[in-house]
Amino acid sequence: MASETELKSLYETRLKEKLSALESSRKRILKRSILTVLMLAVLGAEIYLLVNINPHVALIVACMVISVAFPIYFIYHTVKQKKQYRENFKSGVVAEVVKLFNPDWQYLYDYCMSQESYQQSGLFPHHYDRYTGDDFVTGKIEKTDFQFSELHTQYKQVTYNSKGQRQEHWVTIFRGLFMHADFNKNFLGTTYVLPDTAERLLGSFGQSLQKMSSRGQLVKLENPEFEKRFVVYSSDQVESRYILTPSIMESIVNISNRFEGDVYFSFVGSRIYYANSINKALFEPNIFRSGVNFNDMKEMFDLFEMITVLVQELNLNTRIWTKK
Amino acid sequence: MSSTLILVLAIVVIILLVVISIFNSLTNKKNQVTKAFGTIDVQLKNRYDLIPNLVATVQQYAAHERELLTKITDLRTKALAQNVTPEDRVKLDNQISSAISGLMVAVENYPDLKASQNFIDLQRALNEVESQIAAARRAYNASVTDYNNAIEMFPGNLMAGMMLLKTKSVFTASEAERENVNVKNLFQS
Repeated sequence: MASETELKSLYETRLKEKLSALESSRKRILKRSILTVLMLAVLGAEIYLLVNINPHVALIVACMVISVAFPIYFIYHTVKQKKQYRENFKSGVVAEVVKLFNPDWQYLYDYCMSQESYQQSGLFPHHYDRYTGDDFVTGKIEKTDFQFSELHTQYKQVTYNSKGQRQEHWVTIFRGLFMHADFNKNFLGTTYVLPDTAERLLGSFGQSLQKMSSRGQLVKLENPEFEKRFVVYSSDQVESRYILTPSIMESIVNISNRFEGDVYFSFVGSRIYYANSINKALFEPNIFRSGVNFNDMKEMFDLFEMITVLVQELNLNTRIWTKK
Repeated sequence: MSSTLILVLAIVVIILLVVISIFNSLTNKKNQVTKAFGTIDVQLKNRYDLIPNLVATVQQYAAHERELLTKITDLRTKALAQNVTPEDRVKLDNQISSAISGLMVAVENYPDLKASQNFIDLQRALNEVESQIAAARRAYNASVTDYNNAIEMFPGNLMAGMMLLKTKSVFTASEAERENVNVKNLFQS
């Protein structure tokens, strides 16, 4: 398994050099972005003046053409450069960090978890209108195959204000890291382990509400720490306990301690699905400050480490049951 | 109809509905317990089904363990007999568990047996059944706790007295299981 020391040495030997090489394009993009903002400000001022001093039509047209066409051309180029910069960062830097864990893992920065997997997990049953994501990693840790990616799902909400005007909002359903892996036991039903918001807020009344959930039967388990944080629904009381053994419950508590944000688990079709909500863009270069920064690499490394932590904490490679 | 009569009638109906719902919920919980016990039984039977196969496989390689194998076979026959009370069943089951774990320690002396594919598959099947039994027991304990809470807490306790419901005990590890495993004893058995 990759360690922080290995990351440090990778950073010193290769990443630092690559990041330094990317610095010039980062600075150029930053300058261009600032210029774009300035140009748009000038355009705004120009429109204001033209409207107020009311000059000849030909002058208006000439001014508009020059001051609109140029920024469009400029913005187009900046966006293109930014895209190139992002690609270089992902393929040159992020890919190296992934390789550190295992050179056989595949990293595809423009791909994300399939919609089928997302739906199959049943973790977020809300209907979605927008499905985006990137930084897809797939591979195997000993006997356990896995898929991992950043994901953002949203739905469109239409509201009408007091004047009867239609307003559209995009509401996030899930944003963060999504993963699924082969589970080490066979099972037929579905079991969900979700953050226990109702019981946390409403106490035992919340628990009575949970009994009415459409996700399945409420499963009450023995570990008090686990019960305090999570609520479990399952299609089968015995099977849920076959999956959630005392040691797995302990591991789930450890995982939720280790990573920030709510964690969700589901066990469907012999696979374990895991979602960790993190409300920011991940594995992306920041153009506003220097990219030659070990902390950024460490942050990225910690997120990818989630894959190995999950497989190891849950002992997914222990195959002493009928599933090989 | 006077409004007092309507009020009295409404109260009676509400009380009746509450009584019915308590009765139904207690019956439901009682049946849950029976169902959960049934699930343990199913898993125990699965284990009994594995025993003949296990005995046959071990016999091929480990003739010296005949005594232990006979003991396991006898226990299985007893457990499968028709007139076993649930208490005896639990006792026999605990004995089978310790005899099988004794056998698993004893096979350490037979590398050929340990390497045989048949035995490896059996070991997997046994592990599987053991974890299913453990899960079924925990599910049983959860439904017993739910049932006991319901019949001991107000207002369920009033109704439970009339329904002659008594608290049930949960599964606990047997004395033998609670002791630290003594490998030496296992070899001597």
